[in-house]
Amino acid sequence: MSDIERELEQELHRVLDPISDRRIPPRRSIQAHRTLKTLLGGAGAALAVKVLTGVAVAAAAATVAGVATTGSLNPATWGQRVEQQVSDCKSQLAAGAHGIGDCISPFANQHGSAVASAARQHGNGNGDGSTKTNGSSNGNGNANGHSGGNSGHGKDHPASPKSQSGDPEPIDPIGPNAPVKITPRP
Amino acid sequence: MESSELEEEKAPPLPTGEGSGERGGVPESRVEAERYEPGSERDFERLYRNTYRRILGTLIALVRDVPTAEDCAQETFERAYRSWSAWRPDAPVEAWLHRIAINVAISDRRYQRIRQAGEVIKRLGRPAPGPDPSVVAERSEVFRAVSRLPTKQAAALVLRHYHGYSNREIAAALGVPEQTVASRLAAARKHLQAVLGR
Repeated sequence: MSDIERELEQELHRVLDPISDRRIPPRRSIQAHRTLKTLLGGAGAALAVKVLTGVAVAAAAATVAGVATTGSLNPATWGQRVEQQVSDCKSQLAAGAHGIGDCISPFANQHGSAVASAARQHGNGNGDGSTKTNGSSNGNGNANGHSGGNSGHGKDHPASPKSQSGDPEPIDPIGPNAPVKITPRP
Repeated sequence: MESSELEEEKAPPLPTGEGSGERGGVPESRVEAERYEPGSERDFERLYRNTYRRILGTLIALVRDVPTAEDCAQETFERAYRSWSAWRPDAPVEAWLHRIAINVAISDRRYQRIRQAGEVIKRLGRPAPGPDPSVVAERSEVFRAVSRLPTKQAAALVLRHYHGYSNREIAAALGVPEQTVASRLAAARKHLQAVLGR
């Protein structure tokens, strides 16, 4: 046996013998919290958190996408309500009058705001999201207005993004030419 | 990079015995005279009483301090208890426990390294706190050098020079060939000589 081995042996016994002669403590029982710790810790838990986060984000994205596309949290309900509103507006039109834009716009605007707040709750609450949603709602109103005629589009639309932001509507400067009168065909 | 954990904590394989009166590479005289029934609660308690001190001794040499070693010893017996019904009575039980204990020590060292890295980041720019004086006082230069060896090398040294196992017995306990044990012991001695300047 070499010197270093002899020294090592002596040192190990000198240090370990007194400690090893201590009283034997009671055996630790297997506890439930250790199982919980195993479940909540480690690579498996990290993977589970990632998967759950992914599922949550995918669900939120699908909901927001559905809202942006259909204009309603429940597309079927929204479509039925639009149809009902259009038919109501048509029935309210006076004989010979054209365009139901003024009638549809408040309804579409009100619904657009509701949808935008829902989108904000899903974490997409920036300005772009709400503007796009409003645009979609207004688009529905305009599309219905086509059935009655082209009058009332654009400028007098109360829910357009420009009018919401408070910018003045563009006005044609008064030129030397007199305005042209357009008489509706009989 | 330190070596990974040992093989699965099954009972060590039995090498073909050269002489009679040996089981699992461990002489019959050293194999506990007592018999244990796998899965028996009472026998496991007896095993705990009979082997706790030796397992603790091994762990103190492998981990940083006594409280950590005691915690690792308890963890060792918890793991052993979970596999107690699968333990084979024809294999030496203390070798099986030592294998589990060394795996626990490897896990603890890995955890300590991660923790130390976190502490270094936290105290950037500030001096590192000194070691606990109670721990330093009881440890000599040689002992500290052993604690800094790779876990498997340190384990081989402790089993050989503290518990008095032969290379064959260590091989049976760790589940590796005898040549591997011999090379680990040689590397450990060389490392100690270099560190201690002898």
